[in-house]
Amino acid sequence: MSQLKIAAVLLISIVLQLSLRAVWKPLAYIDFPLVVVVYIALQRDAWQALVVGTLAGLIVDSQSGGLIGAGGFSKTLTAYIIFFAATKVNLENPLLRIPVLGAATVVDSLIYVFWHRLLGSPPGVPLVQTMSYKLIATTVVGTVVLYMLDAVMSNESAQRRQFATRRRVARRSTGPLRRR
Amino acid sequence: MAVDARDAGGEQKVLRIWTQTFASPLQSASSKVSGATGGFFQQIWNFRGTAQENEQLKERLAKAELELNAARQATAENERLKGLLNLHEQTNIQSIPARVIARDPSVWFNTITIDRGSSAGVTVNMPVVTGTGVVGRVITVSPWASQVMLITDEKAGAGAVVGQLGQSGALGSVRGRADLGVGVIEMRYVSGLEQVEVGDNVMTTGQDGIYPPGLNIGKVVDVKKGTATQAHQILIQPGAQLDHLEEVAVLLYHPPQRSTPQQNSPNTERSR
Repeated sequence: MSQLKIAAVLLISIVLQLSLRAVWKPLAYIDFPLVVVVYIALQRDAWQALVVGTLAGLIVDSQSGGLIGAGGFSKTLTAYIIFFAATKVNLENPLLRIPVLGAATVVDSLIYVFWHRLLGSPPGVPLVQTMSYKLIATTVVGTVVLYMLDAVMSNESAQRRQFATRRRVARRSTGPLRRR
Repeated sequence: MAVDARDAGGEQKVLRIWTQTFASPLQSASSKVSGATGGFFQQIWNFRGTAQENEQLKERLAKAELELNAARQATAENERLKGLLNLHEQTNIQSIPARVIARDPSVWFNTITIDRGSSAGVTVNMPVVTGTGVVGRVITVSPWASQVMLITDEKAGAGAVVGQLGQSGALGSVRGRADLGVGVIEMRYVSGLEQVEVGDNVMTTGQDGIYPPGLNIGKVVDVKKGTATQAHQILIQPGAQLDHLEEVAVLLYHPPQRSTPQQNSPNTERSR
């Protein structure tokens, strides 16, 4: 069921990414598939994050004028970095998601542009300006989207939060005992 | 009336005049007051139906506005399609009308997707134009859609001339530049000795083997004059409105084949 939900959410994000630019150009600065990738990576499910990152990147690449595979690679690597960070540091706090989302946007953009420059196909827009717009748009809209995703995928995240709370409570209760 | 009957044209008429003179202001005032009062009550009476009428009128206005917008859009579309037809008459090249169905989903590149593909006869490198100028060239073809690289892309070069082809020697090539954005393209390699002014038209030369000669590219919007040893730096505003593309035409243009130079260098074996 959770895989189906993820597939549906991924599909919606890709459709939004492919169609919103025709409505209003600035909407293209919001990277919806990246937000989904970040969300899944934050759930500490490595395989799902990597597969979703690769798929999302490749599908968007196939419709873009850039190199096919560059977006797939950048999103996969971004997903892995976030997953790795999430296993080392607790990133469950909603406030912490904002810098994580911003950092993911920057890392994804840099890897994407790096590959294009390396393979002699530099993007046709200024890097810093475009990355800044992307950072602002994806972070602002992505934060709201992450909340919505939390609501959609509520079961797993609620369970995880419960476990985290129980662990914290257990630590607190066992702390004084140890001292004794 | 009896007095009046007795003396039709005499003093009785004077009496009537005097009476009317004094009575008429009063009559006029009373008439106004009664009219206003009647109107006031009539308005109150009508007020019950006004709200409903207002709603009906609002609905009709909204419908009329929608129809007006649709008519405006149809007129604009008609103009664009007329431009494409004129283009066909001017160039004598067969073309396929196409609609822009998508734009590049990433913000890093300037491509569009059109709803005509190989099933309609579109092949890679075919030029795409509007009635007002060059749009770009086809870079990927699928059966029912094609991807078009806009002329503002850094990799989308085209041979160009400032002024009329055959009359001007200001030859060069145009291409996009990342720092300029979508609105402007750069023309390079134009000799600093050539006369180039802001507002001059820029046309294709056909030397690139992609675009046919004589297509409008745009207008010169900025020139940094060169010297005898330095080329002009020319910025061009594309003729086609690349931010608002809706209908385009793919030119079924096959550039003339160029003969490959024979390699007769001493150390090369001749192919039999």
